[in-house]
Amino acid sequence: MNDNEKDIVIELKNAWKIFGERASEAMAAVESEGIGKAEVLEQYGAVVGIADCSFSVRRGEIFCIMGLSGSGKSTLVRHVNRLIEPTSGEIYLLGEDVMKLSPTALREMRAKRIGMVFQHMALLPHRSVRDNVAYPLEIRGESKSRRWDVSQHSLSLVGLDGFEDRFPRELSGGMQQRVGLARALASDPDVLLMDEPFSALDPLIRRQLQDQFMALSDQLHKTTLFITHDLDEAIRLGTRIAIMKDGRIVQIGTPEEIVTNPADDYVRDFVQNISKLKLVFAHTIQTPISEYKPVDGEDLSQSPRVSQDVDLDYLIDVATNTTQPTVTTDESGNDVGVVSKDRLLQGIRDGK
Amino acid sequence: MAESIGTVEILDVIPEVDISDSVKEFAGTNGNYYTREFKKVQSSKSGYCWTFNIGSAVFGPLWATARGLWGLFWVFSLLEMVFLVMLGLGVWGELGADKFARAERMQTNYEKMMTRAETAREQGDEEGAASFEKRAENLAKARDKATAEGEIAAAGGTRLLVIAIIGLVLIKIFEGWIANIAYERQYSRWRGDRTVRSGLSWPIGLLGFVIIAFVYVVTLLRFTTANPPDVITEFPIGNTYYLAIASWIDYWFDLASQNFAFLFQGVSRGIRLILDGVETLLVGTPWPVVMAVIIIFAYRSAGPRVAVFTAAALIYIAVLGYWQKSMATVALLGTASFLCVAIGIPLGVWFARSQRAFNMGRPVLDLMQTLPSFVYLIPIIAFFGTGKPPGILASMVFGLPPIIRLTTLGLRQVPKDVVEAARAFGATNAQILRNVEIPLATPSIMAGVNQTILMCLSMVVIAALIDAKGLGYDVLVALQYAAKGQGILAGVAILFCAIVIDRVIQGKFKDTEKGG
Repeated sequence: MNDNEKDIVIELKNAWKIFGERASEAMAAVESEGIGKAEVLEQYGAVVGIADCSFSVRRGEIFCIMGLSGSGKSTLVRHVNRLIEPTSGEIYLLGEDVMKLSPTALREMRAKRIGMVFQHMALLPHRSVRDNVAYPLEIRGESKSRRWDVSQHSLSLVGLDGFEDRFPRELSGGMQQRVGLARALASDPDVLLMDEPFSALDPLIRRQLQDQFMALSDQLHKTTLFITHDLDEAIRLGTRIAIMKDGRIVQIGTPEEIVTNPADDYVRDFVQNISKLKLVFAHTIQTPISEYKPVDGEDLSQSPRVSQDVDLDYLIDVATNTTQPTVTTDESGNDVGVVSKDRLLQGIRDGK
Repeated sequence: MAESIGTVEILDVIPEVDISDSVKEFAGTNGNYYTREFKKVQSSKSGYCWTFNIGSAVFGPLWATARGLWGLFWVFSLLEMVFLVMLGLGVWGELGADKFARAERMQTNYEKMMTRAETAREQGDEEGAASFEKRAENLAKARDKATAEGEIAAAGGTRLLVIAIIGLVLIKIFEGWIANIAYERQYSRWRGDRTVRSGLSWPIGLLGFVIIAFVYVVTLLRFTTANPPDVITEFPIGNTYYLAIASWIDYWFDLASQNFAFLFQGVSRGIRLILDGVETLLVGTPWPVVMAVIIIFAYRSAGPRVAVFTAAALIYIAVLGYWQKSMATVALLGTASFLCVAIGIPLGVWFARSQRAFNMGRPVLDLMQTLPSFVYLIPIIAFFGTGKPPGILASMVFGLPPIIRLTTLGLRQVPKDVVEAARAFGATNAQILRNVEIPLATPSIMAGVNQTILMCLSMVVIAALIDAKGLGYDVLVALQYAAKGQGILAGVAILFCAIVIDRVIQGKFKDTEKGG
């Protein structure tokens, strides 16, 4: 259990953000009377940005926060490094209480522990790519030679060797965002905060950057909080996903859990058109072998055998090459379940 | 024939929009009438058609206010008033009254002269009598002339009367016609914006009546009576307040200049110190050195064409003997601009950071730019006397606003996300200002510096008024003695200074922009 707690890198507990001059009054009313978003706006002229958000991110995890515009996801991520102060709630980063940090300690944490990537890159237009990437180190007062070394390395990580002396405006949007990523990685932070980093890019470039980011993530194992409005992106990248609506987190789960078991109609609407082929696994749809009754002409001994952990995509490949149902096995190779073609088709459609 | 797609029917004839309910709600009273008339107005292609509103024709401005058409109210009442004044003049205006009065005076004088002539003749003074008779004769001629003029004017009264009546009838027709067209427009606006006045309101109509009654009566009194009461031609207060307040201000000015003399002198000395330095540099250094440095600087920052122009301008100045004075002027304006920039940029940063400071500072900046410069020369002379430092202060009053405004503007235009990014990487406010905000606001700040310098230059003639010397003084002297040639030569020298400074700074500024 202690190991588990140590493994938690980012933790938010009951975080609230209410915008407006009478935010604290509104907060008090929310706590004592439990009034809702509409009442807060009506009675206090204040806007609820995020409401009672709690989540924790484990080491090495890519935690996606998915929501439509106005759902509070960008506000939420800015609480982690206190770019936005919560109205109430607790925030921990690497076990430290972020709310208790002095201004100096907070700046130190931002500079050393956290790298952030922004939707619109937010590069300094009057500085070269190198000086942009090295800016976090410059803030910390590192020497020029150290800055040059680090930025060179960081740029090579994102595949931008040879662009050090260019200016941001000379680069395409995708390249600019890679500079943004290199800058976030420059101070070798424990945590990456990515605020819709690929949303402003066109679909092809977005896909390329997602692939590159995944490859980089496999290599560096940075704990990442990734904001997106695109469920496909969240599913592609996320170890776990939190879905936000109107400032609240409505569901947290693995991509498979979200797709196969949406918490409410809102999430169900979202996942409806998501392809389940790579998210649903054989063990979810298989019939236990003891309960399976073979129909005429079926002989399970002739059936192909696959691990129960393969996804539907793989199952389809197997099933198209045989007339028999597919038998699934556990880690030690014992038969545990059967997936008939009817069951497979149902699984493709419903995800369960 | 009606086909249907889903629940919407596609009809061959598009049905008419029924506006009657909303027009009734809008008009309050006479809903049916307005529905009919609005339909008519809306059906006409140009938006103008023949329609006549008797209420408006009869009550004119009063109808307009009661219906909330204030624009029409002013137009109606102005037109009506013009012709009512004519009508008044025609009816009881005593036209030619002044002429008749003059004729009458002359008649009295004529009679007096005749009496004196008779008295003289009785006393046997034939010569004197002839002279008096001669004068009486002239008076009689003048009297006849005045009477004739009076008669013509009186006859003009009848003409005025006719014009006024025709005019009023035409206005009434116009009022009746335009009413529904204007009211329909108000209705269309009201449909989208319920704060637009609707309905018929008697209290507001009454307000209109009070306004009209007051304006008509007072105006008619002014124009149609020979001797209107003083109270309506002049504000009924003498100059007691004026004199009292002016001497009160004098008192405080004197008090302040006595008690804070050390402060004003300190400021003067500070300015004088900087000015002396700059003046030594420009005036004291041998002219070939200064000229060469300026031309090389122009070449380096703005290219060969500006360098050639700069050389030509400097030669003009030198050949006409303005070298010393030009350099003194440049020193003056250089000091003023330097101080403006040194004070203005920090203030601009403060205004960009604090909305409250900006809200308080903005009216002051507006005041500094709009107040005629002669007005703020008064306190400057009162506190600082005359000479170069007060001249610099006067230039600064005019030159400070642009640098403050453009610094604030530039800082406010820095993209929020870039500032946020710097903050997310742990930058302090000072680091953000130095590394992000100031560099990104540089084009705007440089434009402000340029503006400030030119503003200060435009003050050199006015500064010369309080003995700041330089080229402005030559222009001022030329103005006093109407010395056209000297004035224009000195003016052109000022112009050349301005163009050279502007070109060089702009060239420099484009350079920094290119370099990123």
